[in-house]
Amino acid sequence: MMTRVLTLLAALLVFALPAAAQTGPLRIEITEGVIEPLPFANPDFVAENAAAADLARQIARVVSEDLTGTGLFREIPASAFISQITSFNSPVQFSDWRAINAQALISGAVSVGGDGSVAVKFRLYDVFAGQELGDGLQFNGTQAGWRRIAHKVADAVYSRITGEGGYFDSRVVYVAETGPKDDRRKRLAIMDYDGANVQYLTDSNAIVLAPRFSPTGDRILFTSYESGFPRIYVMDVASVGRRALPTLEGDMSFAPRFAPDGNTVVYSLTTGGNTDIYRMDINSGAATRLTSTPSIETAPSFSPDGSRIVFESDRSGTQQLYIMGAQGGEPQRISFGQGRYGTPVWSPRGDLIAFTKQSKGRFHIGVMRTDGSEERLLTASFLDEGPTWSPNGRVIMFTRETQGETGAASLYSVDISGRNLRQIRTEGGASDPAWSPLQR
Amino acid sequence: MRIGYYISGAGHVLLILWVFFGGMFNTPPQSFEVTEVSVISGAEFEAMMAGVQTPEVTTDVAMPAPELPAEVAPPVESQPDPTPPPAEPQVTEAPPADPVPQQPDPLPQQAEAEVSDEAPLIAPPPQEEVVLAPNTSDRPVPRPAERVAPEPVAAPEPDTQVSDAVTEEVVIDDTAEVVREETEGGAPEEATTRIVTEAMEEPSAAPTTSVRPRTRPARPEPAPVAETPREPAPQQQAQQPAPQPDQTADAVNDALRQALEGGAASPAAGGQSGPPITSGERDALRVAVQQCWNVGSLSSEALRTTVVVGVSMTEDGRPMNDSLRMLGYDGGSEAAARQAFESARRAIIRCGANGFNLPRDKYAQWREIEMTFNPENMRIR
Repeated sequence: MMTRVLTLLAALLVFALPAAAQTGPLRIEITEGVIEPLPFANPDFVAENAAAADLARQIARVVSEDLTGTGLFREIPASAFISQITSFNSPVQFSDWRAINAQALISGAVSVGGDGSVAVKFRLYDVFAGQELGDGLQFNGTQAGWRRIAHKVADAVYSRITGEGGYFDSRVVYVAETGPKDDRRKRLAIMDYDGANVQYLTDSNAIVLAPRFSPTGDRILFTSYESGFPRIYVMDVASVGRRALPTLEGDMSFAPRFAPDGNTVVYSLTTGGNTDIYRMDINSGAATRLTSTPSIETAPSFSPDGSRIVFESDRSGTQQLYIMGAQGGEPQRISFGQGRYGTPVWSPRGDLIAFTKQSKGRFHIGVMRTDGSEERLLTASFLDEGPTWSPNGRVIMFTRETQGETGAASLYSVDISGRNLRQIRTEGGASDPAWSPLQR
Repeated sequence: MRIGYYISGAGHVLLILWVFFGGMFNTPPQSFEVTEVSVISGAEFEAMMAGVQTPEVTTDVAMPAPELPAEVAPPVESQPDPTPPPAEPQVTEAPPADPVPQQPDPLPQQAEAEVSDEAPLIAPPPQEEVVLAPNTSDRPVPRPAERVAPEPVAAPEPDTQVSDAVTEEVVIDDTAEVVREETEGGAPEEATTRIVTEAMEEPSAAPTTSVRPRTRPARPEPAPVAETPREPAPQQQAQQPAPQPDQTADAVNDALRQALEGGAASPAAGGQSGPPITSGERDALRVAVQQCWNVGSLSSEALRTTVVVGVSMTEDGRPMNDSLRMLGYDGGSEAAARQAFESARRAIIRCGANGFNLPRDKYAQWREIEMTFNPENMRIR
């Protein structure tokens, strides 16, 4: 009896005393926060000589557009500024920037040399902490490449605040479309990730499809109907020279994609009415068959480590996603939801697979874990397809086509959280984008 | 009765006759104009229309004459406008000077205060007579009562009631064995022939009121006690048979020790005092911080990282920015933890700029705060 009373008293003490008294610091746990763009201030960069006046303003604008385009940042308009940055080395009045709730401040300067070279330097400040985030950086380049310099500044700012790599200094190759829907002309084009600096790589004499960058971004694989049959070509981006990958006469090869090593190509080959997945050494032309079923296997994509391949197959009766080893073998189905799954692409981070899903008459871009779990649909429209990952694995670009006779294809991007859906500026119609790695 | 019918019938007949023959439905003829129309032939119509002129259409629009150049313009001798003679300034008479106010009457001289160098003697206030409150009060003495008669009065006989049930007469059976109920033994009931009233009681010396206890004097600082080596237990005790360990008692002791260790304020903790922080006050601080904790710009890896941030506070509830430090992290790389910490630091500084709403009388308890930022609920799934 006594023991029970003591136990009860002890239990009461255990629960009562911590509330009644406290030792050490007060401890609280924050488990909820807010998700909103981080406000930043980016005054025009300081022009350190007269020739740099225009560039200083333009570079600052591109940096701001890059950051705000992510949906993670919000630029505070210059009209709200209390103080100005007149000198790159002058001390920052943090109180003035705190007053307008600027949480980050970018201070930059531009100078143009006598030989036309451009030097851009910047500093990033955490305004509320009153200290610099990282060290100041300087980029040197040419006046013609000022946009790339601006993208690099934005990449550095993005990386320092978010903790992950940027994607602004990258390019996108896509199929530019012109003409009516029943007589559409297609050609390969390449542009900056934001739609600037468009260059056309092919003419519109033959239909081209599915361009894909090499891991280093210097070559492009694509499918062309130049010979009357779909055939895979590899193009050097700098020289625009190209050559066809060896295939037998009458075979149709398509849906190519580079392996992470850059020397191997995985693709689909239709021969004898059956479509299977093959891999080819791009230098020797030696091909290896990876699947051998009477069903259609296509759209292969390597994992970042090159050990596995995700692809789509209708072997189960409907179009689903499967994963197999890089050398073939028994595949494992990973998609089990309602509808059809296609065009899988492995994330550069290796943790997610993006795909196109058709369900109940609607098309979606979605992501799932590599084991098929945690499927999330990011978009929904009349026709969304062909996802491609940004170099940092944070954003997905895809094709969206509108309905009707006058419907046209255009490029969109969306954050993997499903937020920040944006249309990419292109000249005319655009489809089938492929994002390059970060430029060197 | 029928006379009424006749009168009514005659009236109706007269009314009908007046309606038909009195001209009610006859409308007066509307007046109209009569215009004479003359018929003409086609030749006459053409001859008549031939006199009307149709305007000519032309596309040549005469250009407006160009303005003559200034050189071609004939010289115009301009003569200056005659300057009007300056107007004579109008002389206005100065206004009469304001009347000088008359000297006001001298103020009556204030009576000089009578000031004495000697301070007046102030009669001391009558001292209150301090009377000690009696510790005890005299208990009122009840009035004496008469003595009770020594012989008890016999109780009256109860009223006899006749029961409806018939009870058979009990016949005493001498042969039957008598069973006596066992009763507990004890002292016979105390009895007295005298009742002692309150009037006869002597007043008790026990205090009937209590004095308010004095406050406890401050506890003297414990003198530092040098640790003395624990004496070894006597061998005699060691030789005694060891008692069986009471597991329940051990558990109780452990629980008590843990509770006391966790709850007792140690001098090293800064001498915390005052009432404890309530859960509402904790929640208010938590809500204030999480309103500024923006994880929108964090990477997915940083969103998997939990960081513990330590901060020292000023007495007005503001965080000392220099004191913000990361005490630990879990779930991500060091780089991700740094991003998560910077996000947490911004939240504390931003929302604490005007001071958190914390009870000042409990400052000792929130002088140092450890905040654990756990983004588990905020990460992208």
